[in-house]
Amino acid sequence: MNMRRVNRIDQLAQNVPPARDLWPAISSAIAADIESAVNSAPRRARWMPAVGMAAAVALVTLGVFIGRISTPTPDTMAGLTPAQGETSIMPAALRDANYRKQRDALLVEVDSRLKAMPAADREKVAASLATLRRSIGEIQAELGRDPANALLQELLVSSCQEEMRALTAVRDSGSQEI
Amino acid sequence: MTIADKGRADTVVDFDVALIERARKGDSRAFERLYRDHVGRVHGLCLRMTRNPDQAADCAQDAFIKAWKALPKFEARSSFSTWLHRIAVNTVLEKRRGPSNAEIAVEDPTEYEEPVLSFDTPVEEEELEAAIQSLPQGARDVLVLCGVYGYEHSEASSMLGIAVGTCKAQLHRARGLLRDRLERGVR
Repeated sequence: MNMRRVNRIDQLAQNVPPARDLWPAISSAIAADIESAVNSAPRRARWMPAVGMAAAVALVTLGVFIGRISTPTPDTMAGLTPAQGETSIMPAALRDANYRKQRDALLVEVDSRLKAMPAADREKVAASLATLRRSIGEIQAELGRDPANALLQELLVSSCQEEMRALTAVRDSGSQEI
Repeated sequence: MTIADKGRADTVVDFDVALIERARKGDSRAFERLYRDHVGRVHGLCLRMTRNPDQAADCAQDAFIKAWKALPKFEARSSFSTWLHRIAVNTVLEKRRGPSNAEIAVEDPTEYEEPVLSFDTPVEEEELEAAIQSLPQGARDVLVLCGVYGYEHSEASSMLGIAVGTCKAQLHRARGLLRDRLERGVR
């Protein structure tokens, strides 16, 4: 029996411990909270690559689709090369007069080489060059939409360098397949 | 408060801060220390507001679980103890699920400024606790917060979600009811 007397209400005990220890239940709830936080983090981490890959696939798909609908027809593409295409979107290296002069001279030599080739070889070489020029045309078309895209500019330069190497190989090797 | 008391209080506060920081980082043992230090006051508040030991324990337990989850939001503007009490009061009010702390008319709240209640002659604790338990809910809540736990009207009214004037009026009402039930002068 508590017989303690008080003169003021604030002399009543503020600390009144519960009859049972509440910590076990609190601890369980906290553990569950921590576990759910830990589980949710890896779940997010597992999703991220999948989401990233899906986004990448979607971008590539979109890029291919855009590329396809914007690819010039074979007629308009014929002869579409860095020297003859839209020069305003060309990287500076491809607008260089020396490069264009060398390329024009190389084209003349290659043209005469091709005429001297057997028909079967000529078709193979022409097909290879057409594929290369189609790629260059698609990159140029994309650059037309996104002129500031550094990656596309770099890709265009490397593709044109590849074309130069192919043309040089045709000139030097005659009928050698490239 | 003496200088020594002040020093001890500061130490406790600093200790709380260190434990809170550790608990915020997920250290449940630090939170257990905070629980051990504060559960008595939180449970006492819940018990006086609910008048039911089982319900009071449930409320105190829920209050600590809510506090754990809300720790990242805790700002040191108020003391941890006050913050915990605020959560506990909210928990009790939520569990009541009914109208509480009805607004009562206040003609001049300034006349009810003094939150400390004292008695002409000493009162046995049990008798006083029983008298408090017999009070209407609104008056009891305010009396517990302002009278027993020493909160200002502004703090208590904020915790209870009532106007400061209502809080003062409820305390005035509680004082009158206690006077009648204890049959002695209450100032």
